[in-house]
Amino acid sequence: MHLPDFIFHQPVSVQEAIGLLNQKSNAVAMAGGTDLLVELKKGIRRHEDIVSLAKITELKQITEDKNNLFIGACITHSEVIASLLVGRIAPALVEATSKIGSDQVRNTGTIGGNICTAASCCDTAPVLLSMNASVEITGFKNKRIIPLRNFFTFNKKTILQKDELVTRIIVPKPGPATGACYEKFGLREAGSISVVSVAAKVQILEDTFVDVCIVIGAVAPTPKISRQATDLLMGKKVSEFIEKSQLLEDVGDAAVRDSIPIDDIRGGAQFRREVLKVMVKRAIIRAVEIAGMKN
Amino acid sequence: MKQLIKINVNGDEYEVAVRATTTLLDLLREELKLTGTKKGCELGDCGACTVIMDGKAVNACLVLAVDSAGRKVQTIEGLATGGELHPIQRAFIEKGAIQCGYCTPGMIMRTKSILDKNPTPTKKEIKEELSGNLCRCTGYTKIIEAVETARDYLNGKQPPKMEFMPQKSAMNLSVVGKRLPKIDAPDKATGRAIYTDDISLPNMIYGKFLLSTVAHARILSIDTTQAKALPGVKVVLTGADVPDIRWGTSPPRYDETILAKGKVRFVGDVVAAVAAIDEETCYRALELIKVEYEELPAVFDPIEAMKEGAPRLFDDKYDNNINTHVDHHFGDIEKGFAEADYIREERFTGNRTYQNPMEPHCSIAEWDQHGRVTLYTSTQVVHYVHHQLSHILGIPLGDIRVIMTNCGGGFGAKAATTTIEVMSIFLSRVAGCAVKMRFSREEMYLFGRGRHKQYIDLKIGVKKDGTITAVKQKAVLEGGAYSSFGIVSTYYAGSMLTTLYKFPNYKYDGFRVNTNLPPCGAFRGHGCPHPRFAFESLLTMIADDIGMDSIDIRLKNAMTPEYHTCNDLDIHSCEFTACIEDVRKKSGWDQKKGKLPRGRGIGIGCGGFVSGAGYPIYRSKFPHSSATIKIVEDGSRAVLFIGDADIGQGSDTVLSMAACEAMGISYDRISVVSADSDLTPIGFGAYSSRVTLMGGNACKMAGEEVKSQVIAQAAEIMNVKAAKLEARNNRIFLKKDPSTFIPWEQAGFAHFSKKGPLLGKGHYSPPEGLGGKYKGAAIGTSPAYSFSATVCEVDVDLETGKVKVLNFWDAHDCGTAVNPMLVEGQAEGAVLMGMSEVLFEDEVFDKRGKMINPDLHNYLIATSADMPEIHSTIVDSYEPAGPYGAKEVGEGATLPILGAIANAVADAIGARIFELPITPQRVLKAIKELKKKQD
Repeated sequence: MHLPDFIFHQPVSVQEAIGLLNQKSNAVAMAGGTDLLVELKKGIRRHEDIVSLAKITELKQITEDKNNLFIGACITHSEVIASLLVGRIAPALVEATSKIGSDQVRNTGTIGGNICTAASCCDTAPVLLSMNASVEITGFKNKRIIPLRNFFTFNKKTILQKDELVTRIIVPKPGPATGACYEKFGLREAGSISVVSVAAKVQILEDTFVDVCIVIGAVAPTPKISRQATDLLMGKKVSEFIEKSQLLEDVGDAAVRDSIPIDDIRGGAQFRREVLKVMVKRAIIRAVEIAGMKN
Repeated sequence: MKQLIKINVNGDEYEVAVRATTTLLDLLREELKLTGTKKGCELGDCGACTVIMDGKAVNACLVLAVDSAGRKVQTIEGLATGGELHPIQRAFIEKGAIQCGYCTPGMIMRTKSILDKNPTPTKKEIKEELSGNLCRCTGYTKIIEAVETARDYLNGKQPPKMEFMPQKSAMNLSVVGKRLPKIDAPDKATGRAIYTDDISLPNMIYGKFLLSTVAHARILSIDTTQAKALPGVKVVLTGADVPDIRWGTSPPRYDETILAKGKVRFVGDVVAAVAAIDEETCYRALELIKVEYEELPAVFDPIEAMKEGAPRLFDDKYDNNINTHVDHHFGDIEKGFAEADYIREERFTGNRTYQNPMEPHCSIAEWDQHGRVTLYTSTQVVHYVHHQLSHILGIPLGDIRVIMTNCGGGFGAKAATTTIEVMSIFLSRVAGCAVKMRFSREEMYLFGRGRHKQYIDLKIGVKKDGTITAVKQKAVLEGGAYSSFGIVSTYYAGSMLTTLYKFPNYKYDGFRVNTNLPPCGAFRGHGCPHPRFAFESLLTMIADDIGMDSIDIRLKNAMTPEYHTCNDLDIHSCEFTACIEDVRKKSGWDQKKGKLPRGRGIGIGCGGFVSGAGYPIYRSKFPHSSATIKIVEDGSRAVLFIGDADIGQGSDTVLSMAACEAMGISYDRISVVSADSDLTPIGFGAYSSRVTLMGGNACKMAGEEVKSQVIAQAAEIMNVKAAKLEARNNRIFLKKDPSTFIPWEQAGFAHFSKKGPLLGKGHYSPPEGLGGKYKGAAIGTSPAYSFSATVCEVDVDLETGKVKVLNFWDAHDCGTAVNPMLVEGQAEGAVLMGMSEVLFEDEVFDKRGKMINPDLHNYLIATSADMPEIHSTIVDSYEPAGPYGAKEVGEGATLPILGAIANAVADAIGARIFELPITPQRVLKAIKELKKKQD
């Protein structure tokens, strides 16, 4: 096993990196490299030029303002987990991130890389989607901010242009009495790829679901918001909603209707649908509990 | 183009020129020669290459060397200070956490990073935190214990002392029966142990295979012109350049060629080979070789392959692709079923699994100017490689030296000659220099030799009281493209059903069928785990059907000592009943069975194995094991030379202990040289669980020869008759008055001074004439048989079908446990490996025969986070044929696991899974079907 030849660039600024991506015909940006190096070694992809983002300090900051949390694209998974700021504002992201690979992988892999790899089973995207996160995309000429829900176009495909980088992930601060969580179904207790994943976010005020977002992962070409499940729960009374209630079943079924799972070695499409429903229910129950604790 | 970087490794500053594509792992291993950091999967899945970079654990295979510039890296070599071991290393050695040792450096570095961050982790936290480091030997149990112990050491606490009561048969022994640390553990804990890939000879080049990309094809042409012209390429070979010799594992089925001769039979078949100055150049050269194939219809399913008109893999043999057919009938099957009050027949399907030793295969060959070749290799069986190379090369054994280095696990994957062992020799001969070849993880899967997937139709008849009257089994083994061990696997699948329970009437039909997939071979439990899974499952189903307890039906039929089975196997020592009773009690079976809530289940499974095959793989009169002992001139130390192979299971330790006991010296006075065909006398190696019994007997005999000489010498010194003396604990003393003694070394020194070298030699062969007279009667014979029983407790998520194994209570009759800590290590490793196979593992191929999951990312094996609690017991037993009463445990312990889990899952969900692996999808389907039936 070996890495086919490439030229390795180590720019120190975003602009320099983008310049390189723009100049070279078959260049790719590398953050932690935990996906890219594997795919290069396996021969799944080849690039003549690799633009490392490791030396760009501006991509390694976690900050906040009044309304948002900003996570630099090259913040490693371990840094997300260790960040008190992220833990306070987006504990569900910490939960999801801690389920990625192993500690060794989390020490190298980054949140930006995880999103840009854009696997349908990506572990960070569901929670970020549920929190209505956006990505800051820096291009050769301009900077744009795109809601994450518009970022993924297909499995391993995004709207990112060749000479663009995701530079920051912007997570709006949740309102009061918001609960969010991440349910992952993998085949082994650790280091396994999600067969089904669900992120649920609920905001409960005066016994009412005033804000809801249910995101489903690994059951469609991209992680996606289940519109039907989200809409069904929105505005409902929490007191109507108890474990084993019809409403919960209906929300689970609605999420399944929004899924387009495939058969692969980890599970068949029908199996994924069945597990998806269970995971949606479990995620919502837990999110409601968390929201309750914040009330 | 290379770039100069500065890097700090273990406190030392280095300036190294690296390519952009060089990983930190290769920088450490190849440039800095810090080979303690191991290469396991190269894709960040196994953790063997874990190092600490700027305080954080990383997989060195996924860090580019250029990215490590200016960083501080800590590797296993930097952990011990001076001669002083780090407390983590000490804990790993003491607790038996090291077997093959290949995962050890990564595991220890990961442990360091865990304890640096959190000095007081709980057991649960340790299990989760260590989950990125895979181990295939230990079952993680002793590793977790070691991390807890290291934690305590670092916090200035002494870990709780463990209570240990020796077995009855070991009460009066001095060395055997003790929980002693492995002799090789300190080297493995410090990264000093040398594995083949750690060796770099002067003027050494590298070799690589071009593998077939199609499942079945005629090779129309191979154009190597461009590859040969590439600078740095030294040799390119195709089938036309190598002798037309058939080789393999079992002589009646030699059917592999050195390189494909006109035809390829699976994706991964060997088409061509190149040798070049480095691996990168090899890969570039491989891309330049143009092969034109004429694709042929392929067949991947053995049932399809057996049908008339199916594509044939071999035109000249194996009609209907049936590579081996066994037709055995013992007793009277018709009569047996006629006598039965209840009969049930079911179909069970196994899975295609791979051993996945953590160390990828590696071989280095070099010819000298006398026409003699030396091969360093990661093998389980030095002698069989030696013998096979003699056959292939047409030269005597004396012209070949095979040296086994440390071996990072085998489990059967390294139990026969490999393609890289053969090809490195051919490439080296042409190149005129040393050639190293190593498999990537993907190439390991494609070389194959994993477990045959079996399709089993099993029928059992019982009386009302549960007595088994007849057993009928048909097994179809999916064999892959070549024979490997397959003929033996097919016989074993039938013959070993008879050793656990007594039944007089038995019919077995076995078919091994060739398919266009990687060849299957011998994987821990060789041929037996799937039939045993079927049998243990069906026996429990029958017990349920007739209203009998699953343990009672086993006790009713359980094997007893000195029994002659219907297929002419002779059972001697047997404490099977004690094993079953032990797990019944310890698991709380009677309180739990039938009383657990839905979703929680308990099940029993049993197993056992040969303690060494009664006959060798090829016809030979050589002793199966032999040993020599040389006493150092001053009598202070013995050096044991043994041909058998320590692949991590601990045979160097166990054999040393047997030799020490026999000589009367302590364990700290022995060193071992093993598995080097020039230095060590023949031993058939580590397969069929043979080494403890056979190698142990040879070492005991050699030790006794030394002892009689040293006692004779002492008799002269002490002026008494030799018969009045005994040697033990480094003393030679009067039997009647042990306080009258001389030091052992005094007698040893005197012997050397007067009579020259003090040597001992020993050998062992099984008794002649084992087994019956029918065709295939040799397979299943053994001087002794092991027995074990396991109760498994599971928790099943009824909504998702996910199975969580909570507990195993296992008991083993392995005779006298020479080293109980190592026996536990074998049992725990067997439990976890068996569980991993049952729950996770399956090789999957696409429609064109290409493997979809040839890595550790998609082919999952159990992690520390999956580890259940394992409560192992060694029952009192004594096997007269074994050294100090010992027999095997390594494979026998695997066999109960499959059925135990299947039975526990069935108990939890009320429905049975007939096919392995027991995936959440299959479990959920069974739950839904049951619900439909009930509604």
